[in-house]
Amino acid sequence: MNLKDCHNFSDFRKLAKKKLPSPIFHYIDGAADDEITYQRNTSAFNDIDLVPNVLRGVENVDLSTTIFGKKIDLPFYCAPTALQRLFHYDGEKAVGKAAQKFNTMFGVSALATVSVEEIASLVNTPKMFQFYFHKDRGLNDAVLQRVKAAKFDVMALTVDTITGGNRERDLRTGFTSPPKLTLSSLFSFMSKPMWGINYLTKGKFELPHLQDFVKEGTSTTTSIGNYFSSMLDQSMNWKDAEKLCSDWGGHFALKGVMSVDDAKRAVDIGCSGIMVSNHGGRQLDGSRSPFDQLAEIVDAVGDKIDVICEGGIQRGTHILKALSIGAKACSGGRLYLYALAAAGQKGVERALNQYRLELERDMKLMGCTKISELNRNNLRFRNK
Amino acid sequence: MNLKDCYNFDDFRRLAKKKLPAPIFHYIDGGADDEVTLNRNTEAFNDCDLVPGILNSVGEPDLSTTVFGTKINMPLFLSPTAMQSLYHPDGDKASARAAEKYGTIYSMSTMASFSIEEVSSISSGPKIFQLYIHKDQSITDDLIDRCKATNFNGMCITVDTIVAGNRERDHRTGFTTPPKFNLESLLSFAMRPKWVFNYFTHKKFELANLKDKTEKGTNIAKSVMEYINEQYDPAMNWKDAEYCIKKWNGPMALKGVMSVDDAKRAIDIGCTAIMISNHGGRQLDGSRSPFDQVKAIKDAVDDKLEIILDGGVRRGTHVLKALAAGATACSFGKAFLFSLGAGGQQGVEKLLKNMQEEIRRDMILMGCKNISELDSSKLIYRK
Repeated sequence: MNLKDCHNFSDFRKLAKKKLPSPIFHYIDGAADDEITYQRNTSAFNDIDLVPNVLRGVENVDLSTTIFGKKIDLPFYCAPTALQRLFHYDGEKAVGKAAQKFNTMFGVSALATVSVEEIASLVNTPKMFQFYFHKDRGLNDAVLQRVKAAKFDVMALTVDTITGGNRERDLRTGFTSPPKLTLSSLFSFMSKPMWGINYLTKGKFELPHLQDFVKEGTSTTTSIGNYFSSMLDQSMNWKDAEKLCSDWGGHFALKGVMSVDDAKRAVDIGCSGIMVSNHGGRQLDGSRSPFDQLAEIVDAVGDKIDVICEGGIQRGTHILKALSIGAKACSGGRLYLYALAAAGQKGVERALNQYRLELERDMKLMGCTKISELNRNNLRFRNK
Repeated sequence: MNLKDCYNFDDFRRLAKKKLPAPIFHYIDGGADDEVTLNRNTEAFNDCDLVPGILNSVGEPDLSTTVFGTKINMPLFLSPTAMQSLYHPDGDKASARAAEKYGTIYSMSTMASFSIEEVSSISSGPKIFQLYIHKDQSITDDLIDRCKATNFNGMCITVDTIVAGNRERDHRTGFTTPPKFNLESLLSFAMRPKWVFNYFTHKKFELANLKDKTEKGTNIAKSVMEYINEQYDPAMNWKDAEYCIKKWNGPMALKGVMSVDDAKRAIDIGCTAIMISNHGGRQLDGSRSPFDQVKAIKDAVDDKLEIILDGGVRRGTHVLKALAAGATACSFGKAFLFSLGAGGQQGVEKLLKNMQEEIRRDMILMGCKNISELDSSKLIYRK
């Protein structure tokens, strides 16, 4: 199997599984506890049906939309995800350049393995930085200033990760960052020699946004769960978010909002958007899926801020359904991470292109030529 | 396993799988994307239950109904499907003759492997023609004129195929453009020498209705998806449909209507029927199933349109439920294609016999003397 055999999400996943040492694959592929929320994030899309309209003349489809004041060519983008150079040696550079090629938003994690400065020099299309609120306020300020200087367009504060989720696959495989060879994972690393060679020869693994402040940056191995639990400030509250929002002074979003009340409050503190997200099912298992929760949130704040549906998206029709409910755009991590692991920038480009082609075809089959034509009339719940 | 072991959909499917090269089997069997809609089309029938009436002195129930101005002996007919000679060398001829024998409609696809004239000359049973609106209007006009000349009973315009669906099984098996037969699929052809022998010893594969109008249509792989994307007009709109209806001037359906608004509009432009269909789950995955949608459409159009439910039908009880929910008749594609692949004309006849017997038995068990007695009071939806 290789890249040209990848026709959909699960193909990319299969190829990534072949290429990655298993602790790393399972770090991407796994989620919290029993992974109920992780599964539901995708299956939620199947409880609602599309009702197309016919004979509408649909030669040309425009997929562009505007989020956070930026026009992007696709109504979906690459959500910020950590540690991308573990998945492919080009890491964020590969994803950023692929996103740029399709002119869509590129999210960079606080735990990115390429610096914001380097990304800014490579990618001039819209960029988002994902912020973790650390106990060390000096670190917080320094990161904010660097992201500002690098002229990122959006700052997204993650609010669903004040402590590490219970990702049991990581406990079993011994996943740490940087990866530590345990006896149980040794075989898996040895059986993927290309990954090992690339990891050791394509530049040192580091967390450039944190390394001046945090020993976890490079030298000591730590589990991601430990990192969240020991470094992030669990006392973070609405005041902190509001201050960060005003310190940033640009488009600001909360990532991981699930309740209607919190969505309204996000409007009050000056946010211009929220990501309805449960962190890909990796934090609180049993949490509602973003798609199940979307309508309530759109009804409450959809006319005031940009609502992004994040999580579980594997198909063009999933995006179509979320946009029909009223999301401004969709985003996802696994959406492109398997493709990154499978083939670097080329892989991500192939994945983005497939979603684009799917969405374009699905729009035509729905009888729609513009994103703004999608609405809840296109949808029916079962047995209603 | 052979034809006499085929009691139901799954049996015909299994036998067809044995007889057909894998790429061809999967072309019939597959749907779009994750096949959610493909599966839902049939599952939807299981979300509602039949409530029989008893002691109704049923006797011999009358299964007949009228669609496209034609009385048929059972409320189920053959959907139009492309390239039937891939499944059996007799192709459309076999299915048309079988349908005639059971007094129901055979539907011819624009992309049939025998021509309008050839099939008319071997079957005088009820026939409708499925029309794709082409970018080149002279092709569309020509097809309508020829159906008139050969006395087809009705026509339907397919409106859900302005772009080819994402059928991933076809990508994998190499049933695509250009033909990319991989080792596995070549092996699959080699293991079915009878199919290969028939394919090469019978009439050359072609899109018989189109061969004089386009150079496309002689190569299997080129003929399907590429044909759709090159020749069908994505700018097709209501005016184009109305033009065809006027030109045809007889019973006409839109095939692939799903929304209530579109169903109402079909009345306005002069349709006599609609086929509620998502193209067997082969186009837009995530699309609503015809059975889930039929009641809403019936409520909106009442008796102003004949409603044909197309998609997911595998059992007599599915037909009964569809009729009780408001359909005038049902049509099916996959089921009869498997029976065609399994045993040619004999296979299709066996399937139609099975279905006729199931519908008859189910009518008796429901306590219904004729199909007009099937109404919404006979159904309860689960919550």
